[in-house]
Amino acid sequence: MLRFIARRFLESIPVLFVIATATFFMMRLAPGGPFDAEKQVAPEIRARMEAHYGLDKPLFQQYLLQMKHLLQGDLGPSFKYPGRTVNEIIADAFPVSLELGCESLAVALVFGLAAGMMAALRQNSAWDHVPMALAMIGLCVPTFVMGPLLISAFALHLDWFNAAGWYFPRDRVLPALTLGALYAAYIARMSRGGFLEVLNQDYIRTARAKGASGARILFKHALRGGILPVVSFLGPAVAGLLTGSFVVETIFGIPGLGRFFVTAAFNRDYFMVMGSVLFYACFVVVLNLAADVVLVWLNPKLRFE
Amino acid sequence: MYVTLLCLALLAGGCGKRETLVAIGDRTQELRLGNEGEPASLDPAVATGVIEHNVMVSLYESLVFADSKDLSPRPGAAESWEISPDGTVYTFHLRKNGRWSNGDPVTAQDFVESYHRVLMPSMGSQYSYMLYPLKNAEAFNLGKITNFDVVGVKALDDYTLELTLHSQTPYLLSMMFQDSWDPVPISVIKKHGAIDDRTNPWTRPENFVGNGPFVLKEWRINSHILVEKSPTYWNAKEVRLNKIYFDPTEDSDTAERMFRSGQLHSDVQPPPSKVAFYRKYKPSLIKVYPYLGTYIYKFNVTRPPLTDKRVRKALAMAIDRNAITETILRAGQVPAYFLTPPDTAGYTCQIKVKEDVAAARQLLAEAGYPDGKNFPTVEVLFNTLQTHKAIAEALQQMWKKNLNIDIVLHNEEWKVYLDSMRRTNYSLGRFAWIGDYVDPSTFLDLFTTESGNNETGWSNAEYDQLVRLASNTGDQAVRYDAYQKAEAILMDEMPIMPIYFYTESRLIVPSVRGWHPNVIDDYDFKSIYLMPEEN
Amino acid sequence: MVIVESVETAGGASFWQDAKHRLWKNKLAVFGLVVLCVLAVLSLAAYLRPSMTGYSYEQQNLALGPMPPSHAHWLGTDPLGRDLLARLLYGGGISLMVGLCATAVSLIIGVIYGAIAGFAGGKLDMLMMRFVDILYALPFVIFVILLMVFFGQNIILLFVAIGAVEWLTMARIVRGQVMAIKRQEFVEAARALGLRHGRIIFRHIVPNLLGPIIVYATLTVPEVILLESFLSFLGLGVQPPHSSWGVLIKEGAEVMEEYPWLLIYPGAVMALTLFSLNFLGDGLRDALDVRGSKD
Repeated sequence: MLRFIARRFLESIPVLFVIATATFFMMRLAPGGPFDAEKQVAPEIRARMEAHYGLDKPLFQQYLLQMKHLLQGDLGPSFKYPGRTVNEIIADAFPVSLELGCESLAVALVFGLAAGMMAALRQNSAWDHVPMALAMIGLCVPTFVMGPLLISAFALHLDWFNAAGWYFPRDRVLPALTLGALYAAYIARMSRGGFLEVLNQDYIRTARAKGASGARILFKHALRGGILPVVSFLGPAVAGLLTGSFVVETIFGIPGLGRFFVTAAFNRDYFMVMGSVLFYACFVVVLNLAADVVLVWLNPKLRFE
Repeated sequence: MYVTLLCLALLAGGCGKRETLVAIGDRTQELRLGNEGEPASLDPAVATGVIEHNVMVSLYESLVFADSKDLSPRPGAAESWEISPDGTVYTFHLRKNGRWSNGDPVTAQDFVESYHRVLMPSMGSQYSYMLYPLKNAEAFNLGKITNFDVVGVKALDDYTLELTLHSQTPYLLSMMFQDSWDPVPISVIKKHGAIDDRTNPWTRPENFVGNGPFVLKEWRINSHILVEKSPTYWNAKEVRLNKIYFDPTEDSDTAERMFRSGQLHSDVQPPPSKVAFYRKYKPSLIKVYPYLGTYIYKFNVTRPPLTDKRVRKALAMAIDRNAITETILRAGQVPAYFLTPPDTAGYTCQIKVKEDVAAARQLLAEAGYPDGKNFPTVEVLFNTLQTHKAIAEALQQMWKKNLNIDIVLHNEEWKVYLDSMRRTNYSLGRFAWIGDYVDPSTFLDLFTTESGNNETGWSNAEYDQLVRLASNTGDQAVRYDAYQKAEAILMDEMPIMPIYFYTESRLIVPSVRGWHPNVIDDYDFKSIYLMPEEN
Repeated sequence: MVIVESVETAGGASFWQDAKHRLWKNKLAVFGLVVLCVLAVLSLAAYLRPSMTGYSYEQQNLALGPMPPSHAHWLGTDPLGRDLLARLLYGGGISLMVGLCATAVSLIIGVIYGAIAGFAGGKLDMLMMRFVDILYALPFVIFVILLMVFFGQNIILLFVAIGAVEWLTMARIVRGQVMAIKRQEFVEAARALGLRHGRIIFRHIVPNLLGPIIVYATLTVPEVILLESFLSFLGLGVQPPHSSWGVLIKEGAEVMEEYPWLLIYPGAVMALTLFSLNFLGDGLRDALDVRGSKD
């Protein structure tokens, strides 16, 4: 197992390298630069600004310079926020997204797995159709509708919460529910499928025939097999959750990383994009590894890969 | 599952009726403002937009400041000034009790070095052109001369500042409302890095020093900016607010919800559909007033069929601007029949675009496209935003109905759109210009041949000449006469099609006192205070 | 019930015939299929004859403005006075096509890719999955913008952009499932019999994957429809005045407090489509489930 993990870390290095290179050239190729603004800047001034950040050097030289900085862990300055470095911005915003992500994940797992299990145990009954219908609603109602709906009901009309912001503990509730609802829907649907697959297998039917109750069976035997598809899906999904959701952070005014990811691309904030892409990529790599580890743990037969 | 929901509900609702943040602010004299976005910088030489300006107006005080009612220049860091008879030399007498927030006196030398810094080519300041009225400033800024001593700003002594202009500029004092004219604490900046390094961290709360009525206390990106009353400000006894909280929420829906739930005292530019709602049902909470800006479509005059001015005029005449302002925008915007907003420093253009469908059809026929026959498909470019889209769709239908021509719409993401406009890679392009200061020149300078913001490919020697004439004289009558002639040329050649003049819509609670609407939407935080209405 | 089943099976029906039979018996699934067909037909009709409701999708009535549902406009009008029903039907074409086709494309690519990776294991699996990791991390916004720069503004690009993003997670899920299945006895048996890899993968393993694949595919469709509205924000896909359900929903969300019908109806239609897809999908899953009799 340890060798497996260690090997995966080694493999990740060329992956990150390729991502960094691809991102660098993609960003430079896209039309529009960090200094394009509605009020045009005089060409001489623009030239000065570009020179300050080294954008006037030949492209390949800039690339090598960027790679060098990356190896030193220096993600560079932000164009949009002169005076702040990318490292700082990420360090500041990430804990917020992390907190929201964990809370949403908790909501999603609790509601999603519970719904999926119940549905699978009582297949085709009301216990199946109703939670699944609710899950479908969670999917059809996009976050940019769910969020304002919740705010309108609980914050504006009932006045239980603030409409936006991230200052008090209770500010976490609505955003976590909004974000969690979407993932809960996915988890509910996928785990139901997974549990059903398992429940219909012979060894389960044997256990049932022998008189073991549904719930007990689920937990002892089916859980492992049932959450298999969920795990594969969750790997990259959690990466997205933990690094922040642009939509939810915008609607609830949360100072997280998700917003930076998207606005950096729109601002052509080159170093910010590179920093956030690599940061996100690290998460993806780590979480995919974790997902694979869980897969192997769930299915011991795979151990000898 | 029900148990969890119940617990959540109890947790949330437990505390009963909460005192809103606005009510708390009223009590503690803390003004909470929706500021529409996160400031990119709080350094006057680096910052560029309205968002930054709103915060900087509390942190710095320039020679003069704008009276929030009529925008007349009031003594700020300078307690008085004289203007020479020929209008090219201004002598400012600084207050002897002006102080930086670290206790140091504010001297004339501070101003000289601050302007030097803005004009340094290596600084790359985007608004350095605001200082170009100063003699030799432009040449210095573009690197043509390297000796700052010949630039028209001198400290005669510690408290006397002399500005020498290259020609009469009657609106100079109103230009000073823009932050490039703010003084900055040079010695403090040097302590934290190079003077011309835009990434110098001197504006961080722990390092910040300013001479304004407030000082920077907290700055958390995307979260908030908090400024506190400055005890060293020379007029601190007149300042009634204790704190100002700037909220950087960019999304107008979110900001409006925050206003509704009592988190903000004021919020600008709520979504258009909400503006109509407030005006109808809650008029005491909304103020709508003119704003110094014009929304236009630029024509790429180098691309057929727009090379023919008859086609351009036809397009400009065949639309219904009222329908757009009344039904799409609905926030009191004014249809625009010329470029410069009416009554800008007393100037109103006399020539108007006439909305006349019959005449437009006639022009189109003369240009070779009777009843729209053979008219090539022309594209309208705009950046993706709901309002731009709605306006474009409406215009598309109007042109189809009135001229029987097919216009295609194309939206691009912001930077791609800017890039396309800069390269003049469009046919019709949406554009808006907010004036930098209150004078028609800020609008009419746009379409001279050398202007980087022209982007239409249009060049007219007579226009250039008139604009240059106006900028070289101080005689108001002569200037305005030149501008009338210039704008008449603009409306005849029609390289642009004016659509509407901006208004500002602002949600504001009655407890905010001392605030007055003005055409550049400038805040005067020294006169604003909070007092809830007595019930 | 049991007796009837075994008689029919004893009649020698093949796996597919059996599945089809079970599908027809599932009323919800049939309902879903019918709804989808009706929507498709209506959208096609709206596309071919844009004025079939009496209004076209682009016909404006600025003086009217946004109005709630009435006799003249069954679903109300939008802020430019355009008939919502007409826009909804016209937009349905794009959304259904994008939703279903783009999902199908990404599904096929994802399944093939994931199955090969999962089955092959070892070095090939590693390379393939690391490639997926790379694509996953690249900034999507920039990718789309570059696509438009190099290839113009084609509708085909819309499918490329969507497909390029959606197949990744499908591939991962399929790979995970394949890895779990391939060690089971029946696979070992197939191998022992000397069957070719391709045959094993596609005739024996993939049918067992259909469960999670179908479930995830139906989950992908709403995501794709909303993704399309994000892409039109970037300038790809439908340009105004055309619209799609995703765009209608987005615009409706912006004014949901003032003009709720602009959100409710497009949302309801999309929900209806998704529910139908899900019933159909569940029905397919149950019908194709090799082990699945539920009693």
